Amino acid sequence: MLKLLPRSGLWRWVLGVAVIALVIIAAYFIFTSRTEAQSTQQPIAFNHQVMVGMGIGCLYCHSDARRSPTAGMPSVQLCMGCHKVIDPQNPEIVKLAAYWQKGEPIPWQRVNILPRFVYFSHEVHVSVAGINCEQCHGDVAHMTVDKQVVRMNMGWCLSCHEKQPNAAQLTDCVVCHQ
Amino acid sequence: MARKLTRRDFLRIGVVGASATVLAGCKFPRRWEVLEPYVTPPEEQLSGQPTWYASTCRQCPAGCGIIVRVMNGRALKLEGNPEHPLNKGKLCARGQAGLQVLYNPDRLEGPVRQSKRGSRDFQRVTWEAGLNTLAEKLGAAGGSVAVWLGSTTSGHLYDLFQRFLSAVGAPAPLVFDLYTAFHGYSVLQQVDQQLFSQAQLPSYDLGNADVVFSFGADLFGTWLSSVRYGYEFGQFRSQELGKRGLLVALEPRTSLTAAKADKWVPLKPGSEALVAGAIASLIASRGFGPAERVDRAKALAKPVDVNAVAAAADVPADELVRLAQIFAQAERPVAIPGSQLTGQPSAAEASAAVQVLNMIAGNFGQPGGVSFTPAPPAANLVKPPVSTVSDVNDLISRMAAGQVQLLIIHGANPVYELPQKDAFMAALGKVPFVVSFAPIVDETAAFSDLILPDRTYLESWGYEVVSPAFGTPIVGSQQPVVMPVYDLRAAGDVLLTVAKAIPAAAQALHWDDEVEFLKEMIAQLPAGAAGGSGSSVLWSRFLQHGGWWPAQVPSQPSQPAATLPAISAPAPQYQGEESQYPFFLHPYMSMFLSDGRGANQPWLQGAPDTNTSISWQTWVEINPVTAQKLGLKIGDIVQITSPYGSMEAGVYVYPGIRPDTVAIPLGQGHTDYGRYARNRGVNVLRLLNPQQGAEGHLDWSTVRVKVEPTGRRMAMATFEWTEGVMEGFPNKSIPGY
Repeated sequence: MLKLLPRSGLWRWVLGVAVIALVIIAAYFIFTSRTEAQSTQQPIAFNHQVMVGMGIGCLYCHSDARRSPTAGMPSVQLCMGCHKVIDPQNPEIVKLAAYWQKGEPIPWQRVNILPRFVYFSHEVHVSVAGINCEQCHGDVAHMTVDKQVVRMNMGWCLSCHEKQPNAAQLTDCVVCHQ
Repeated sequence: MARKLTRRDFLRIGVVGASATVLAGCKFPRRWEVLEPYVTPPEEQLSGQPTWYASTCRQCPAGCGIIVRVMNGRALKLEGNPEHPLNKGKLCARGQAGLQVLYNPDRLEGPVRQSKRGSRDFQRVTWEAGLNTLAEKLGAAGGSVAVWLGSTTSGHLYDLFQRFLSAVGAPAPLVFDLYTAFHGYSVLQQVDQQLFSQAQLPSYDLGNADVVFSFGADLFGTWLSSVRYGYEFGQFRSQELGKRGLLVALEPRTSLTAAKADKWVPLKPGSEALVAGAIASLIASRGFGPAERVDRAKALAKPVDVNAVAAAADVPADELVRLAQIFAQAERPVAIPGSQLTGQPSAAEASAAVQVLNMIAGNFGQPGGVSFTPAPPAANLVKPPVSTVSDVNDLISRMAAGQVQLLIIHGANPVYELPQKDAFMAALGKVPFVVSFAPIVDETAAFSDLILPDRTYLESWGYEVVSPAFGTPIVGSQQPVVMPVYDLRAAGDVLLTVAKAIPAAAQALHWDDEVEFLKEMIAQLPAGAAGGSGSSVLWSRFLQHGGWWPAQVPSQPSQPAATLPAISAPAPQYQGEESQYPFFLHPYMSMFLSDGRGANQPWLQGAPDTNTSISWQTWVEINPVTAQKLGLKIGDIVQITSPYGSMEAGVYVYPGIRPDTVAIPLGQGHTDYGRYARNRGVNVLRLLNPQQGAEGHLDWSTVRVKVEPTGRRMAMATFEWTEGVMEGFPNKSIPGY
């Protein structure tokens, strides 16, 4: 094999650099695969702290968490329900009103994404298991910009599933990987 | 290189090189998604959870019930409605492709006008302008307005148009399209009225029959109610004690039905009635079957020279005898006159000749026999009558005479569908204004002045009195399952709006919108299988379950006795001299494209034909022995000429067809109708007689053609290459060859 290496020094350099580049690229893929968004540039600088500070519960906006696999995003109509009169001069609220006027949905950048081979149901966790939103999504009440606080990978899910009374059922592959 | 490259070295370099290439080609993962919420959410939807809505399919006139899976405002999947008594949860390919009608990229987004017909240079206009134009033209036309509807136009729209036209003193709407004309709906109704005083389409209880003789009826393809017949066939094949039923298909070509039959009798096109007459006559003369059957046969059948019929039909005489014996001795035989019969001259007599067999069998209203369905218990809810070709010709004459000031078309495409399209186009020139409700610019809309695109059926309201209904009166419901994709007004609402501007009609059409009309019509029905009381509850149940049907299947109306003069089967008459046109032309409806309306749905175009596995093309099926004689192979382009026209198509060597017959599917050859349909294949209607309607029905099954090679070839888009399919034939070592 060594006999195959190029004789001249320049070519050895090139090969060496190429190999190192490949290693770096591979490492990048391995260490950056995340279940969160690459960017959290939202179209409107939505601030959860303000909302929760007003005493608005999670389920007021993300109402489908109780009865659907997906928690749902509040409709533009829901936002405008309050913001027609609350703080309309705020430049972010002006952006919101513009979406409403045009009849366009707000293109939120998704923060928590699970891969497609995972089945996760909010309904089961919220309504059946009675888990608080903060347990997985962190202290959203004090977030000014949304972030994923924990890497939502299988090990993390299992660490809770294993502690349940029906752990044997909940750690069955088929429960999440339907 | 100083050193020779060994295989091992080659592999090493190759692997490293390949992996480097692969990695270099990968993009960085983009783990982002955009979450778009609703702007205004509908009340009953949860994100991530589907909602199912019941409605009625409109891809053919059968009226099957469907349920549609809708997720967050998008229709995702169509299925048959399991509660619907007609199709019982099954759905055919055309039904499934309904999503591509809804989400078709060639749909018009709003009303358009063109200044020159045929220019296809359409300009968008506002709804206000479009409605005002229509109102103006309607007001000016008075009673000189003609309305042309299709067989899949919702029953409520027919009823609204009928009330409007009656109020302004215009003739009733014409209901005519190629689907119902090809399958001879008007002939079947006429025959049933003549013989049984029931002007409706008959239902054949295949599921309980033990012997079925199908005379050219493509039961499992497109004939009348193919989904239900498919279900019935399942019942037919799984009868008690392991009985499988015997299906005999008498037709010149192996259709899908013949392919599933136990016996295919390849009789000469046009001789079906003769064969039926011979069978009836043989039952009488040979005394086959129970005494009552023999007696009825003696009363109804004229004596027939069996050998002459055998020669005329190209069916051996002993075969005819055997068929007669099988039919007469069966417990529950039924004979079905199909479209091959209704497409001939003397169609009514030909169909009656086959119904005679049912009369002999005494199977009316019996399990396994012919039945008629009682009407729904509401005087106003009637299935619109299908018009005859004579009615079409009457309209064309009136148009040509300048008696039609305004022509309105919905759900039909006469410029594509009529063999007499040239006469229609000429007459169209005398009509000052033409309005089309087509959602896509089809051939007829291309020659309209104004198009007010209707919503497609998944976005529309309606009802449908189902026929044939197999014994249970059904009024199917239709409701929008999604918000309309574009800002389009329903044709019913358009009519109600413009009617307000016309004093004569404003009284007759006093509803504010079509839903109000629908509710009023449906309120006539008593509580059905879904139960409930009170009009709002009944209306909700009507929508929720997909329609109205009674809780109990009503008892069959008593059938008239067979006291009719002996019916003789007419001899076949062919168009074209045999010496010049040696082959019979057998056009047929593909179960995907049907009469051409499926051509703009790529799922239907791409589905391989059931018998030839060809998709996206027009082809001509030729018997292998004939192909050999003519020196033709699969893929050769031939010119097919009838006394009326000529076309070219690629050859498909097909063993399942008579050597003296060629078969060509309908449905392609569109010049408009969207990107998937346009300029693809050939419209075989050009080979038919443009002088239609001498006897009131579409005349298509006795045309002769000649076949000439052109020397050119084409690639056939097929999974089965039939070259060499007859190699080794005839095998001289087998006695008889």
